[in-house]
This record gives sequence, structure tokens and C-alpha cells, in this order.
Amino acid sequence: MAIVSLQTVSKDYLTDGQPVHALDSVSLDVNRGEFVALVGRSGCGKSTLLNLAGAMDFPTAGRVMIDGVDTSTLNDAGLTALRREKVGFIFQSFQLLHTLTVFENVELPLLLAGKPNARAAARERLASVELDGLGDRYPHQLSGGQMQRVGIARALIQSPALLLADEPTGNLDTVTGAIILELLKRLTREQNTATLLATHSAEAAALADAVVRLRDGKIEEILRR
Amino acid sequence: MRSKLAGLAATLLFLNPLAAQYQTAVPGYRFEFPRDFFDHPGFQTEWWYFTGNLKSTNGRHYGFELTFFRQAVSRGSAEAATWDVKDIYLAHLALSDLDGQKFYHTERSNRAGPGIAGVSASSARIWNGNWQIQWEGADQELQAIDKQFQLHLTLHPEKPPIIHGENDVSQKSEGAGHASYYISLTRLAAMGKLEVNGETLGVSGLAWMDHEFFTHQLGADQIGWDWLSLQLEDKTELMLFRIRRKDGSADPFSAGTFVDARGKSTHLRADDFTLEPLAENWTSPSTHATYPIAWKIVISKWEIELEAHTALATQELAGKTKIALSYWEGAIHLEGHRGKTPLGGVGYLEMTGYDRPVNLAP
Amino acid sequence: MGRLFLFYRLMLRPLLLEPVRALLTILAVTLGVAVVLAIELAGTAAAGSFRASMETLAGDNDLEIMASGGVPEAVVGTLTALPYSIRISPRIEDSAVIAVTQQTLPLLGLDLVAESSSWNRSESPSLGSAESFLPAEDAMHFLESPDSIWVGASLGKKPGDQVRLLINDQLREFTVRGVYPDSNGNESAIVMDLAAAQRALHRFGRVDRILLKVPEVPSIEEWRERLRAALPAGVEIRAQGSGTDENRRMLAAFRWNLRLLSYIALIVGAFLIYNTISVSVVRRRPETGIVRALGASRGAVLTAFIGEAAFFGLAGAAFGLPVGRVMASGAVKLMAATVESLYVSSRPGSIELNAWSVTLALVIGPGVAIVSAYSLAREASLVSPVEAMARGRREYMTRIHKSRDLWFALALGIAAVVAARVPPMGGKPVFGYFAAILLVVASALAIPAFADAILSRSSRWLGKILGVEALLASQSLSASLRRTSVLVGALSTAIAMMASVGIMVGSFRETVLLWMNDRLPADLYLRPAGAPAPDRHPTVSLELADKISKLPGVAGVDRLRAYEISYDGLPATLASVDLSALRSDHRSNFFSGRPTEQVLSQIRGADAVLVSEPFTYKHHVRAGGTITLRLGATRASFRIVDVYYDYGSERGTILMDRQTMLRYLPDPAPSNLAIYVTPHATSETVQEEITEASAGYRVLVASNRDLRTEAIRIFDRTFAITYALEAVAVIVAVMGVAGALLALVIDRRRELGLLRFLGASAGQVRKQILVEAGLLGLLANFAGLALGFALSLVLIYVINKQSFGWSIRFHWPVAVLLGAISVVYLATVLAGLYPAQVAVRLNPLEAVHEE
Repeated sequence: MAIVSLQTVSKDYLTDGQPVHALDSVSLDVNRGEFVALVGRSGCGKSTLLNLAGAMDFPTAGRVMIDGVDTSTLNDAGLTALRREKVGFIFQSFQLLHTLTVFENVELPLLLAGKPNARAAARERLASVELDGLGDRYPHQLSGGQMQRVGIARALIQSPALLLADEPTGNLDTVTGAIILELLKRLTREQNTATLLATHSAEAAALADAVVRLRDGKIEEILRR
Repeated sequence: MRSKLAGLAATLLFLNPLAAQYQTAVPGYRFEFPRDFFDHPGFQTEWWYFTGNLKSTNGRHYGFELTFFRQAVSRGSAEAATWDVKDIYLAHLALSDLDGQKFYHTERSNRAGPGIAGVSASSARIWNGNWQIQWEGADQELQAIDKQFQLHLTLHPEKPPIIHGENDVSQKSEGAGHASYYISLTRLAAMGKLEVNGETLGVSGLAWMDHEFFTHQLGADQIGWDWLSLQLEDKTELMLFRIRRKDGSADPFSAGTFVDARGKSTHLRADDFTLEPLAENWTSPSTHATYPIAWKIVISKWEIELEAHTALATQELAGKTKIALSYWEGAIHLEGHRGKTPLGGVGYLEMTGYDRPVNLAP
Repeated sequence: MGRLFLFYRLMLRPLLLEPVRALLTILAVTLGVAVVLAIELAGTAAAGSFRASMETLAGDNDLEIMASGGVPEAVVGTLTALPYSIRISPRIEDSAVIAVTQQTLPLLGLDLVAESSSWNRSESPSLGSAESFLPAEDAMHFLESPDSIWVGASLGKKPGDQVRLLINDQLREFTVRGVYPDSNGNESAIVMDLAAAQRALHRFGRVDRILLKVPEVPSIEEWRERLRAALPAGVEIRAQGSGTDENRRMLAAFRWNLRLLSYIALIVGAFLIYNTISVSVVRRRPETGIVRALGASRGAVLTAFIGEAAFFGLAGAAFGLPVGRVMASGAVKLMAATVESLYVSSRPGSIELNAWSVTLALVIGPGVAIVSAYSLAREASLVSPVEAMARGRREYMTRIHKSRDLWFALALGIAAVVAARVPPMGGKPVFGYFAAILLVVASALAIPAFADAILSRSSRWLGKILGVEALLASQSLSASLRRTSVLVGALSTAIAMMASVGIMVGSFRETVLLWMNDRLPADLYLRPAGAPAPDRHPTVSLELADKISKLPGVAGVDRLRAYEISYDGLPATLASVDLSALRSDHRSNFFSGRPTEQVLSQIRGADAVLVSEPFTYKHHVRAGGTITLRLGATRASFRIVDVYYDYGSERGTILMDRQTMLRYLPDPAPSNLAIYVTPHATSETVQEEITEASAGYRVLVASNRDLRTEAIRIFDRTFAITYALEAVAVIVAVMGVAGALLALVIDRRRELGLLRFLGASAGQVRKQILVEAGLLGLLANFAGLALGFALSLVLIYVINKQSFGWSIRFHWPVAVLLGAISVVYLATVLAGLYPAQVAVRLNPLEAVHEE
């Protein structure tokens, strides 16, 4: 069964009174262990699709099923719980809290979820992103690549079934970007997560199990390998 | 027979049921001087008038009037306190600048209080604040102090006091006690100084004192009076009053007194003299009362014919409120003759009841 | 024009996007300005425009003659005989209570006979238009009857109405004979003729005041000298209305202190403006950089930020004007109550919003705003364009020099200690207030270090106890240390003020309670019915006092007599008392610490006095010195044997033996009786006996306990205004917390949004904001209590001592403080509710993706 399943999903926004069709009848399934790249120009609907897939937003039409649960049936608490258990987010600009140490940043989702042994889990995740020993540093003491590794470690801390990454290499140089992509791909395998990656980069697309091309809110094509 | 206090007195007479406890002026009173110059608390109303014509060393002519009134209010319990109002002491002060055509007048009222006003035989003094008459032997020291002028005079009597009326009673209307005891010093040589508007002038002239005390006076149909004091060049004096009745006629109780050069007085009955206004009137702009300010006086049995005129028409003491009495009182000068001999003199004229009737009935 | 437009576009328009926060800032300034204005207006109405009530119907006189205990009436006769054209108006002055309404009014005995001579000229010296006052036809008749009174038109009486008046301890019926207009400056009063007043008050031989109108030349001063020569030694001649001036002088310190207290709310407001502008400066760094790069000068940037502050100040002032006017109505009641119970009986004048008060508001609003924003604006203008455009790593690149500021704080603290030791200037504790300000500034400078120390040490620990939200909250506060410090500064200043005044009042209250144990030794106290006031001394009939002393259960009666006098240009109370041996003081009530009996034996029958503590401070006298008093017609010198503690009245009191006073002022009627009960009787039964014995007299008998309760009730009422001022300052501070948290939420919306991505629930976001509010409140409470303690020492030992001269023992009013602090704390947390709600409603998608 697909971890995330978008079924003829549409999303409209009102911008200055004008409806904008961000997504138009999009259907997409992503399974565990799949590393899917979402490509297209800026504004084609990549981020909207990620937000819907991450239960951060509701579709205007159609259904979003996360691990078999229809998001539109859940209230805020239910969505929060669903996100905590199933979804990890990775951001272009890392979105680390500068006032917290690396450890604290990584364990934050666990703490928010009220789970025990956060520090041990954080240590383990940091090891998996090859950042052993940097846990007590503050984000500003890290390089960009290291910061994104922290971001990835944080996204994986709850062993989510679904990993959503929005341009994770957008703020990194090419070499570091490639390393991060490799890391993501490896972790997708190891953790058996479904990873949905919005990206501009051709390298990313080349690494993906499937490439979904979006154009003006519609899926233009899906290339599977 | 003159009074500003008339309105006040009338009110009190009307309101005060105790008026009966006061003495009235009836024949048989034994006068004694100087004691009788001072107060008679047994009578309800008492007044002292000082009027006179003065001439300053620089030749200007003035008239003055200083009057003291005492009106009994209560003769209550023996346990008196300082501020109790047993009598009201009222006083009027006026100065007529005859050459300057200016008339100043002011008034004050007080209770005796802690020595504010009073009459005292023992200290030979009549006073209301710093207006006072102090006897020094037979002479009187007059002091009157006002914002605009001050008067300091020594008054020396040239004749003994005279007592007006028949049987020493000056009858004013029908009925026993409707009368007053009426004393005058008719020829007072006045000498002293006058300060007016910052200028100090030596003055001298002739003054007249009236002192009258009584409990009842006018009748109900008597609406006012005209009164004159005349000091003539032949060293004689005349006092005349005419009481006016509602119908315009002169009351038969009008009377007068003639004092000869040696000081002997003769009572004049209403039919002994005529006192008629001449056709010279002045209408007051404030009270709209019209006063006859020139008079003809005839005493045919002594062939006296005089005309009284004033140098200052505006000598009206106008009260501003509804109740206050307005009256005209001022300096006059006289011209005429006795027999063939020309005769002049000076005097004072008082006219009441011209704005509305005076109510001085018991 | 163009610049203004630019100013609008860059500075003001952004404010419109956050209307709630802008409004909160404006509201804070509004309240600050309003409080200052309210106190100013109310002060003027209750104390400043204060005309001694006895000036009613005083007319246009130049001079007045007074003497302690009354002017011998012979003086009136002497004056009237002087060869000067002077208008002389003797007056008997006291008070009467209208039985039905319990309203206390001045009772004036005027010489209506003398006034009447002016009636027909409509120029009565006191009564103005005569006809409105006396229907002249009946005037003399009315003067004659001792029940005649004339009253002010505002009482709503008409001629012929009967009015029952309580005069001293007698209730009598009076008849209204006429009314006079009492609108402009003339208070409503009961007017009688001198004769009636003299009898009603049993005041024989003396009048209270003689008013004089002298001619224009020579000068009034020259007239004063001339007339002085004619007067007996004990009588004082002075400018008319000096009583009003004296009262104003007496009230000056009270007004001054209240005025300064009112500025606290404004200072708290200043902190908030500082915070608002600081947010603005930080947020607009990029814009600042861009406009600088586009050619704006440093001056333009400086002007823009100062302009923004001035905008808040002006807007606050504009709203503050009407709000202040409304608050003044409430304040004037409270102030009038204080004036009435501590100083002098008066009714407040009308509240007038005049040019001065409008100017005051318009100056202090923007003024405080500009001063508090200046350093920030300067900082913003000094940033180089490049530095500004490069977006900072953190939003709050705060330039805080914690340790340097801490040293400054220490230096200022030392300076405050020095300033507190400087004597008063012109009777005002200028340096005391300076010390207080230094302490406030020192505390503001120490707060960053303090907050940082606490937060950095406690955040992990907090996180463990209260959860990750607390950790985040604490981290967020310590990350934006400047903002945190400013908020803690504002709130702690308000709390400090509240705590310090609370400690002072609490200490004072405790001191008074202790003092009353000694001062009120008798079992029962009796006074004439009618509201008491420090400057009114109605008397009890002597017969009643004698009757009571013979009652079976009564062991002894002390008769106290008090007079309102003027001493050395200030009102004072002159009192005498039987120095009976029945007083059994537990402790010495004297500066010397000697036993009571020893002190009293020295003044018994002698020309010697005791003076109260406030008297010594007002007149710089001490035990061992002498004072000269004008008593009736004589001038006499008295040795000051000792100084006694007195918390009953702020006006000074001179106390002498009853026998001594009677030698100078023979009126034997006492003002109060202190009654001692025999050991065999109970005070309840004796109280009943007294009540029975005093039938026909209007007196109040109070037990010792009643009197204490009443005294404390008056005490509490007196300080109501200070509580009100504190409350406003706290409200301003709490509003500031709300506004600042709102800014914090908006500035951190990205972070808050992220938390939602990371699995935070709405509740967790709310909790974080509330914990921040709670932490701010906690920090402010700690800092505020510490500062408040220091300030209370300054208040008690410097400011109070120098302004009022009271010795107050320090006392912690624990319950009151705890209660107040809890309320403030709760309010602070509640202030976080709205910002928390805003945080919850933020759209995390927009927040995170906004770049």
C-alpha cells in the first residue's frame, strides 16, 4: 500500500481575490522505499503538493491518504499526531532553531511528541548522517552541508514513513548537494521510507526512482525507473 | 423732622409690636444741657444733624451735611452680647462743592458692637466709625472721613440751644405723642479744614445742629415734607417745615421757629408763614423725581420776604433700591428783605417724598 | 512634503499592518499621559485651585487680621475709629452641619447691619448684589431674630424654609431668610448676622477674622505697617487670603509627591516605547540599508525613527487628554478625601482642562517617546548600508554589553546611596527622588545580566520540568535579550513601584497601629457630632463635660481643646489638654525617650509646650528651643520641652497644658473628651450612661476600639489614590507585555511555523507563548521586588521623612505584597493569551515559505 496517496487532488488559492489553481486533479502514490523527485518550474505546484502530502494543508478537491488515513477526516490534533508519527520535513534553508544546540534541534520533534529517550535517538540519527560528536554545537558553528544533515537527522528522528524534502540542496554548493542527495537516497533505503523530493536539480532527478514532472499544477509525466 | 431713616423706621414701627414700650414726646419734659445733647434710649428714633455753609481760604464755597441716626431695634433681655443689635446707627455724609458743581455723598450703618458706633454722654461723644462729634466744653469737634474727602471742623455755638414747638413739643400730627422733642443749635461758628481729592483747604462758615428724638411722628395722610434752616445776616435764624398731605395741601401741623439775635425763640404756627415753591424745578435723572429747588418764604407779621435758591441743583441723595428713600438736601442761599431792609443769608433745604410718599406713620 | 510622504510610507504604513500592537503602544502612552494629566488636574482641583472655604463671601479685601484663638473684638472698635477710609469687615467663622444631608458647610457670621448700608448701592463688600440676598423690607426684622440664616443658592433652599443645623454639639432650627449666588468662587455657606453667630457658637469677646479694604494709596504694605501700629501684639495683620496660600503651601509637598508618583506610569510607558522602537529598528534593518544605499542620510534615518516614536507619543497624548480628564474626576475624589482627612476641610474645585494641562500632555507624551527612542534611532542611523542589507544571522543582533552595564548599575546604585543622604532642597526631597530614579536606572541596566543569568541557568532545568515548550520559551527570551530586558524593566519598574509604596504604606500603617496603643489610652472618647476635619474644632458644651465627669462609672475626664492657627506661614493646630495622671502610656511617645509622666510634669502649668514630629520638620524647631505664639491679644514665648510622635495629621501640632492655654484663651469649652472608666465599671455601661447624660447634645461617643478602627479606615482611604496610581502603572506594564509578546510572535512566526512542521500541536505553541509571558512575569517580579525594597527604603527614610517628617518603622506587609504580586503575575500570564492565540492562528505554510 502506498504511504501517501493523492487521489485527483486539486488545490485552489485566492490571491488578491483571484483564484489560482495551484494543483489540478493530481493523482500520485508513493510507496515505502521509493525515492521520488518532483520537478518543474518555480510556481508549478511542487511545494503545494508537498504540503498536502505532509498533512500541513487540505485539498480543495480530491483526497489525500497518508498511510491509509484520509487527512480530511482529521482535526488539528489528529493532523498533528499524524505528522508526528508519519512525516518528516526537510527544508531548503534548513530551518534550524539557532537558539538550540544540534542535539536539541534534532530531538525537538520527539520532545514535542512527548517521547522518552530523545537524546539517545538523536545521537543515533546524528550518527546516521555522519555528524557524530557535533551534537553540542550550535547551528551557526556548522557549515551549510552540516546544517542540512542536522535537518535530515531531525526529519528522521521519529522514523517517519514519509520524508518530504523541499529543495534540500537549493542552498548548497553542487558537491555538498550531491552528497546530501546520496545521503537521502541511502537513508530512504535503510529506513524504508517513502521520500518525496521537490527539486530543480538534474542530479537529484537522476538519482530518483521516479520523476514526477509538474507543469501549471498538473502532472505532465511520471518517469519510473 | 428730617430723615433718611424714615423708610427704615417705618418698617420697624410697622413690624415691631414692642413700639409701645418706648416713650413718646408729650409736654412736661425737663430739658437739661449738655445731657440732652446726647442719647435718649427710651425713645425709638433719634437723630443729630450737622449742616453748614463753608467758604475756603481760597474763596470756594461748600455745603456739608453730617447726620447721625439711632433707631432702636430691641430692648430685650438684660443678658446682652457685644454684637446684639439693640440700636441701628446710621449716618450720612455729604459735601456740596458749590463752585465745582460736584456733590459727594456716602452713608454707613452699624450696630454699637465693640465701640463701633454710639452716643455717650459720659464721654460727650456721638460717633459712627470715624465720623464723630466730640464735645470739648461747649464746642464740638466734627470729624468725618471718606474716600474722597475729609472734614475736620470746630463748631462754636454762638447761641444757647433752643427747643422747638409749643410746650417744648414739636407736634407733627393729630394725637398725643405724635410729636418729637426737637433741639437746635442754630448758629455754630465753623472753622477747620477740608481735604478733598488730595487738596487740603482751610474753611470757615456757619453750621446748624438739629437733634430730635421721638417714637411716633407722621399721620397716614402725610406724604412728605419740605424743611428749611435759614441763617440770616441780621444774626437771626429761621426753621420752617411744611408737611404735605396726599391731596397736595399743606398740613396744619406745619410749623417753624424764629430765633432772634439774642437767641430768644418764637414758635411759628402754620398760619404764621407761607412757604411756597417758585417755578424752578430740577428732575433727578436717577429717580425721576422733580424737586422744586427754589422757594419763597413769607412771614407777613414781621414783613419778612425771602427767596431761597441753590447753587447746586443736584444735591439729591438717591437710594438705588426699591425701599431706600431718596431725598434732596442741600445748601441754599437767601435773598430778600425785612421791611425795607435788604436781608440775605445761607441755609439748608430738605425735601422728601417727591419720588414716592414717605411712610412715617405709627 | 516628499519627506513626509516617505515617512508615512516607510514608517507609518507598516504600523497599520499590525494595528493591535500599534494600538497597545499608543494605549500605554495614553495611560501614562492620562495619569500624569489626571493627577495634575485633580491636584489643581482638590488642592491647587483650593480656596480656603472660609474665603467664601470674603469679597475684594486687601488685608486680614487674625490671632490664634480669635481676635479680641475690641480691635474692631479700635480699627473703626482710625482716621482712615478703610472698610472693616469682622467675621465669625466656623462650620455647621446640615442635619438632613450631613453636609458640613462654613458658618459665617457677618456684620449684616454694616453691610446693609451698602445694600442700596448694590456694592455690599461681601454679598454682591444686595437684593438677591436680603429682601430689604424685612431686613432689619430678620437681623433681630437669631434664627435667621442666609444660604448659597446651590443648596436649593428658598426664603422661609426651615433648616436644622448642628453647630458644635447643639442641633437647632433656623429659617432661611434669603439666598445668595454661590457660583463663582463663593462656596455655599451658612450666613448669619454676627449677633446670631456669636450666640449660636457661644463665641463671646472674639471674632475670628477682620477683613480690611484699604485705599489704593499708599501701598498695601504701607497700610499694613500703619495698621499694625494700632493693633495689640498678639494680633497678626497679613494679606487677605493668606490662609489659602498657607493651605496651598501645606499641600505643596503632598501634591508634589503625588505628581512624581504619577510619572511612574509614564516611565513604564517609556520602556514600552523603547521596546516598540527597538522592534521597529531591528525589523527595518534591511529597509534602512536600502534607503541608505539609495541616498538617505544618517540624519534622515535618525529623524525617521524619532518621528515614529514621536508619532506614538503624540497619538498617546491626544488620547491621553480626554482619558486623563475622565480619570481626573475619579482622582479628584480620592485626593479630596486625603486632603480632607490629613490637611484641611475643603471641597474640590471644578476640573479645568486649560492650556497648561493640554501643553503638558502634548509635551510629555512625545517628549518621553523621543527621549526613550533616541539611542535606538541613533544606533539605527549609524549602521552602514551594507551591514544593514546583509540580513543578520539572527533577527536580534542586540548590542548588549551585559557586564559593562552591570558596572554602570553598581556605580549608579552607589550614587543613589549618596543622593539619599543629601538634605532636602526647599522642603522638597529632590535628592530622594533623584536617588529613586538612579535606582530605577541602575536596575534597568542590571536587568540584562540578571535575566541572562537566570534564563541561561534555568532553561534546561525548566525544559525538564515544564516540557520542551518551556525550554523553547526560555531560549527564545534569552536569545532576544534586549527585548526581554526592556520588558522585564518595564514590568519590574511598575512592580517595584507597587511594592515600594506597598511597603511604605504597610510600614506606615503598622507604625500608626503601634502608635495608637500609646496615644489613645482612654476608654471612651467624645466629640461633637459632624464629620471631623483637621482644621475644624467644634466644641462640646462645658456643662456636658462637667456632667460626664460626675457620672458614677467615670474615673476621670481629660478635656482637649484645639484651635486652628497659623504659625510661621503655615496652618497648624494649637491644642491643650488636661494633663491628668490617668494617662498610662506603655512606652515613651517622645523623641527623648523619657517616661511620659516626667515630660508632662515639665509642661504642667508652665509656659512650655510639646510639638508634634511633623511640626519640627516644617518649622525647624527642636526640643529645648522656644516658639513665639500669638494668642488672642498677646504674644508669648513657650519653651519646647519635647517632641512627640504624631501620625494623626500631617499639619504640625503644638500641645500645651489646659491651664496654660486658658490663661491666654479663656474659652473653656473643650473640643474632645477622653473618658477613663473606673475599674469597677465597664466601658459599655459607662458609654450608655454618657449617652443618657448627653440627651439634648449632639455628640458622638466612641470606644477606644471604635476610634482605632475609624482611624485605620481613614488611613486606608487616604492612601487609596496611591493604590490607584500603582494599578495604572501595572496595567500599562501588562499591556506592554501583551504588545511585546505580540511582536515576538510576529517576529518569530517562521520559527513557530516550523514547530508545527516538526509536529507541534496548537496547544504546544500556545503553551510556549504563555510560558514566555510567565517567565517575563517571574523575572519582573524578582527584579521588581528587589528594586521595590530598595525604593521603599528611599521612600520611608528619605522622601517621606523630608516631605512629611514622619518616623516610620520598616515593616514587610507580606500578605498585601503577595496578593499584589500574584495579581500582577496572573495579569502578565493573561496578557500572553492574545499573542498566544495569534501564534496558533499563524499559517505555518506562509511562515516557513515566506522567503
